[in-house]
Amino acid sequence: MLLSIRGLDKSFGGTPALSDVALDLRAGEVHALMGENGAGKSTLIRVLAGVSPADRMDARLDGAPLVLGSPADAARAGFRFVHQELNIVPTLSVAENIFLGRSLPRRLGAAVDWRRLNRMAGDALGRFGLSHIDPRQKAGRLGTGDRMLMRLASMLVSGDTEPRLFVMDEPTAALTHAESERLFAVIRDLRARGAAILYVSHRLDEVMALADRVTVLRDGRRVLTAAMAETGRAGIIRAMTGRDVTEAHPRRAAPARAGTVCRLEDVSAGRLSGLSFELGTGEILGVAGLENAGQSDLLHLLLGDGGRISGRAEVADAALPRSPSQAWGRGVAFVPRERRREGLMLGRSIVANTVLPHLGRLSVLGLARKRLETDESRRLAQALRLRHRTLAQPVRELSGGNQQKVVLARATLDAPKLLLLDEPTRGVDVGAREDIYATIRSLAAQGTGILLASTDLPELIGLSDRILILRDGRQVGLVATQGLDPEGLLSLIYGEARGAHE
Amino acid sequence: MIHLRRYATLVGFGLILLAFALALPDTFLTAQNLINISQQVSMLAVVAFAMTVVMAMGDFDLSVGAMASLAGVVAASLFAAGFSLPAGLLAGLGTGLLGGLFNGLLVARLGILPFVATLGTLTMFSGAAFMVSDGRTIFGDDIPEAFGAFARGGLPVGGLVLPSLSLLALAALLIVWVLLEHTSYGRRLYAIGGNMEAARLAGVPVRRLRASAFAVTGLGAAVAGLMYASRVASANPTQGDGLMLNAIAAVFLGMTMSEESEPRALATLAGVLMLAVLDNGLTQLAVDSYLRQFLVGAIILAAVASSRIGLSKG
Ligand SMILES: Nc1ncnc2c1ncn2[C@@H]1O[C@H](COP(=O)(O)OP(=O)(O)OP(=O)(O)O)[C@@H](O)[C@H]1O
Ligand SMILES: [Mg+2]
Repeated sequence: MLLSIRGLDKSFGGTPALSDVALDLRAGEVHALMGENGAGKSTLIRVLAGVSPADRMDARLDGAPLVLGSPADAARAGFRFVHQELNIVPTLSVAENIFLGRSLPRRLGAAVDWRRLNRMAGDALGRFGLSHIDPRQKAGRLGTGDRMLMRLASMLVSGDTEPRLFVMDEPTAALTHAESERLFAVIRDLRARGAAILYVSHRLDEVMALADRVTVLRDGRRVLTAAMAETGRAGIIRAMTGRDVTEAHPRRAAPARAGTVCRLEDVSAGRLSGLSFELGTGEILGVAGLENAGQSDLLHLLLGDGGRISGRAEVADAALPRSPSQAWGRGVAFVPRERRREGLMLGRSIVANTVLPHLGRLSVLGLARKRLETDESRRLAQALRLRHRTLAQPVRELSGGNQQKVVLARATLDAPKLLLLDEPTRGVDVGAREDIYATIRSLAAQGTGILLASTDLPELIGLSDRILILRDGRQVGLVATQGLDPEGLLSLIYGEARGAHE
Repeated sequence: MIHLRRYATLVGFGLILLAFALALPDTFLTAQNLINISQQVSMLAVVAFAMTVVMAMGDFDLSVGAMASLAGVVAASLFAAGFSLPAGLLAGLGTGLLGGLFNGLLVARLGILPFVATLGTLTMFSGAAFMVSDGRTIFGDDIPEAFGAFARGGLPVGGLVLPSLSLLALAALLIVWVLLEHTSYGRRLYAIGGNMEAARLAGVPVRRLRASAFAVTGLGAAVAGLMYASRVASANPTQGDGLMLNAIAAVFLGMTMSEESEPRALATLAGVLMLAVLDNGLTQLAVDSYLRQFLVGAIILAAVASSRIGLSKG
């Protein structure tokens, strides 16, 4: 047994987050850690990392007692981490970020050996097939997926101790299909060399394919540890939720289009070009493409955050909004791709975060009505099963998936005319995902036009009526989802000739 | 833990009050002395409340002191040139509003860091104050009788008189408190302070709000400048300069007492009162003014440091 944990307790301000948790990790295994949003996965990982030490825990490394009181302890034990929340230093280079917190290669014992640093960083990136990232460029200029890949690469550069355990908290939440595949290849390679991998993901398919064993947490307690082969998909879900969840994407009848919510005619802006489509009321239009093919740019454009355009664009029966504030005012709502950077005021309460765009409607003569704000927030928190202590709690204290729910609550508080969703279910657990799908569908049924960008292809196909395909910012296709399967969509994304191009 | 942190400053404040009350049994905790303190501190209070508005957005305004001086000499110069009392007052307030708006445009439109932008305008406003006044103190017959009388007057209550300046500071507190705590405007300012990009994408008109908040702060600084000029019935181009550092210190002291360490109106009031009491008590104890300065600085640092303990972990 590489690492063995017993009797782990951890609470925050009197509320237990983990109670009497046990975990065994073997060398040469991929161990999945599963659980609903707020079950305690990230908390467990922060304990292992020494970032937020346990209240009580008996840990053994190779049978010898192990103290995990600080990140240095974890590093010395040979543990490597990619946490759920991307922590990068945007003003430092990619190579420096990769070596962050570790000693840099030096010349003559003092001066940093930049050449060697960049080469080592380049090698680590190379293992993920990331030849397009220059180790010398500033990390702040990378897209979301590349940032995650950079953090993953940083686990691989050898430090002072040989890494023995790799811990990854939802690494694929920000990755495309192809990037995820490359990560899985690296993980299998690490396992073959005898490392242990602790892996968190809400994507059951990849967990089933990748992991040898699984541990499931529910409400901070361990409810299951078993070999993956012995545990079915339904078994894991039942252990996580304590109930049966039907993971179905029921086909919707094609909506009766009463009108248009948004119309683009040969629009170009920034790196976007050739955009021509119409989004009807009640329609869900998927947006697909490789990482950074312009999906987010398209949503930002419709939010009035895309700069100057050429061509004709119409949103909610008016010209393209000039600013996000004008867009929200006209009934456009937005769920951004990176909840922490673009979505949340982490130090502010759940209520403040939820009602922010709706303050105008919720106030009288500019005076805020706190009761109403709280009532509205409570309604949405219940609908989305937000796991929280009080609505006055700062969002920082919520688990990743629950933070995502706050961003969704904000966008769906008023039934918007146009809803722009960028990876809306990122980091959300299986059960909550179904709740969110239901919300999206019911908004569409009430006439909201929805633009849904997602790298989760089954989700995209399951929800959308049609799918818009982007490549390098250019619209290369607009297909009906009827009869489309993930493989077919993937080949359209990559550009193999197939399907109805426009 | 959180409560310990929040109340550390207040407890320290209480101990200081107690020490002064014991050391100065006859003169410190008297109604008259407390009223004096409230008057002495009224200008600082107004500037600090105004500063709280921009600090709610995570911004700073270093130019408030210079603006206070400028507003004072603008009004006094107009009085000297024979303009009426309302005309001079309006000009002083207008200067504050426009100067603040200028700060706001530098920060919100041009994207200059508030620290740099208002350091620049601090120098500009200061230079302008010297130009307007020719570097002289404007006093005596040039100042209308009613202007100086305002600061000397007050509202009689029982046997005491509540000074007009204190009442004005109270009004400023009320306005800023309502603005920050009870209006959508204030909520949006705090949202900007929480995460400017997220606020913008959630439909908060960040540029407009930042510009307007700086204008409010400029106006507050001008009010304080006029209060100062009224109190001494004269105006010179440097008389408000000392207000800026103390106002920032008061907001910081207040932040150590507020939940989530945010700038809040009532917390700023507590910070202002702390500074005022320290100054008054130490002066009465005849502590040397340099030592007094040193002690006040040390106490501010101690308060801020104690509020950081336990914040880094957890
Ligand atoms: N700093 C904190 N202060 C208070 N409560 C916290 C803090 N961090 C986590 N919690 C609480 O502990 C519980 C477990 O959170 P954790 O982040 O471990 O969940 P998770 O299993 O990683 O969920 P997700 O799948 O959403 O990422 C949650 O209820 C959360 O609100
Ligand atoms: Mg988590």
